[in-house]
Amino acid sequence: MADRGKQYLILADEDLISLLEASDSEAFATLYDRHSRAAFSLAYRMMGDRQAAEDLAQDAFLKVWRGAGSYRAERGSVRTWILSIVHNRGIDQLRSHASRRRTQDKIEASAPRSQPSEAFAETWRNSQREQVREALNTLPREQLKILELAYFSGYTHAEISELLSLPLGTVKGRMRLGLKKIRDFFESRGAAVPR
Amino acid sequence: MNEMNNERFEDLKDAYVLDALAEEEKRSFEEFLAAHPERQAEIDELGAVAGLLAFSPEMQEPPPDLRNRIMNVVAAEAAPRRERQGSVLGGLWGYLGARGLALGAAALLLIGLLSWNLLLQDQVDDLQGQVQSSQGQVEDLQAQVREAQAQQTQTVQLSGTWTTQGADAEVASISGDRIILVADDLPAIPEGQTCQIWVIKGDVPEPSGLFQPGGTETAAPITTPIKKGDTIAVTVEPAGGSEQPTTDPVLSAEL
Repeated sequence: MADRGKQYLILADEDLISLLEASDSEAFATLYDRHSRAAFSLAYRMMGDRQAAEDLAQDAFLKVWRGAGSYRAERGSVRTWILSIVHNRGIDQLRSHASRRRTQDKIEASAPRSQPSEAFAETWRNSQREQVREALNTLPREQLKILELAYFSGYTHAEISELLSLPLGTVKGRMRLGLKKIRDFFESRGAAVPR
Repeated sequence: MNEMNNERFEDLKDAYVLDALAEEEKRSFEEFLAAHPERQAEIDELGAVAGLLAFSPEMQEPPPDLRNRIMNVVAAEAAPRRERQGSVLGGLWGYLGARGLALGAAALLLIGLLSWNLLLQDQVDDLQGQVQSSQGQVEDLQAQVREAQAQQTQTVQLSGTWTTQGADAEVASISGDRIILVADDLPAIPEGQTCQIWVIKGDVPEPSGLFQPGGTETAAPITTPIKKGDTIAVTVEPAGGSEQPTTDPVLSAEL
């Protein structure tokens, strides 16, 4: 086993980011190995297609490599930062292909809804993921659907209103209640929202 | 377009953190936020809640080829970037040297150019400081690694069917209380399955962590305290792990 490679495995994400600023490609490889599954999973959830998800994940990780200096530890963890890059790039791409996805999502929105237990059948790998899953499971399905259409599919609140034939005020209200319920989930357990 | 005010800010902030505002609304919201920085913390906090959605998708394994493609780009960019960083001071000194000749030839502009030269000198000092700071940071990290290695009290090699297929795995005790499994070149496992670590005390296996073999190197913490005489084993289990091993170990070692 390469000793040099092993050294990187014990470094914290924030340390690896510092090494990226010195153009250390092995530090980048370690970060990739730690976070590529979560990043690819988010990319796939947003794009709904493996090739598009690969392109998005590649785009996002190269932004991590080229823009490590823009990471700010006080704004959240490295993992959250990487996922926010995937999300932002994904939203840009979805909106540039909005018309193509609209029909597909209309069909999905009107289809019978899967039960939360099916939607979250996967067992999550770590406790943070487990907690998030529990928090989302507390949401009424109609609130979760609106959060998902906004966050993963890149729809604006006005577009969601049109898509689901709901008043705009109802969409905003469900967004607010959904986010509040997630926050309350953590606060009720005396835990901070993971960042 | 309604004018942005506190009431409208309240009305739109949830959609903002979900990135669900139209461009014009978003711009107007951000202008208001810039003018009212005291509300930034509230938006950061709400944004963290929205950001949790990123952790919720069903796990998908990225194709190994994706890693190769990205690393090829990174490798191609890394060398020139290091050269640029290494040569930044040399380049500036060379630049200043050439300017020095120009100064000699243009004595009438001496005072003005001297002032400019002093300004550049400050910039060079700043750059030197930045480079030294960056080097210092890297040296600190390297020192941490050396320290961790020095404190590494025990390393035990694992063996089994996977090592005969070319995998290399060991259990390392770092800083006394951090036990990790570190492995290279583990084979891929089918979708819907996971690797589970067991610490076997006597005949009783205790679940001690899950991991997915990914990339060329894998590291996973072992969550159960271990002592001499225990056995560490790894089995392939259904996603989420099992209460008891359901397959034969692919890696194991007696401590």
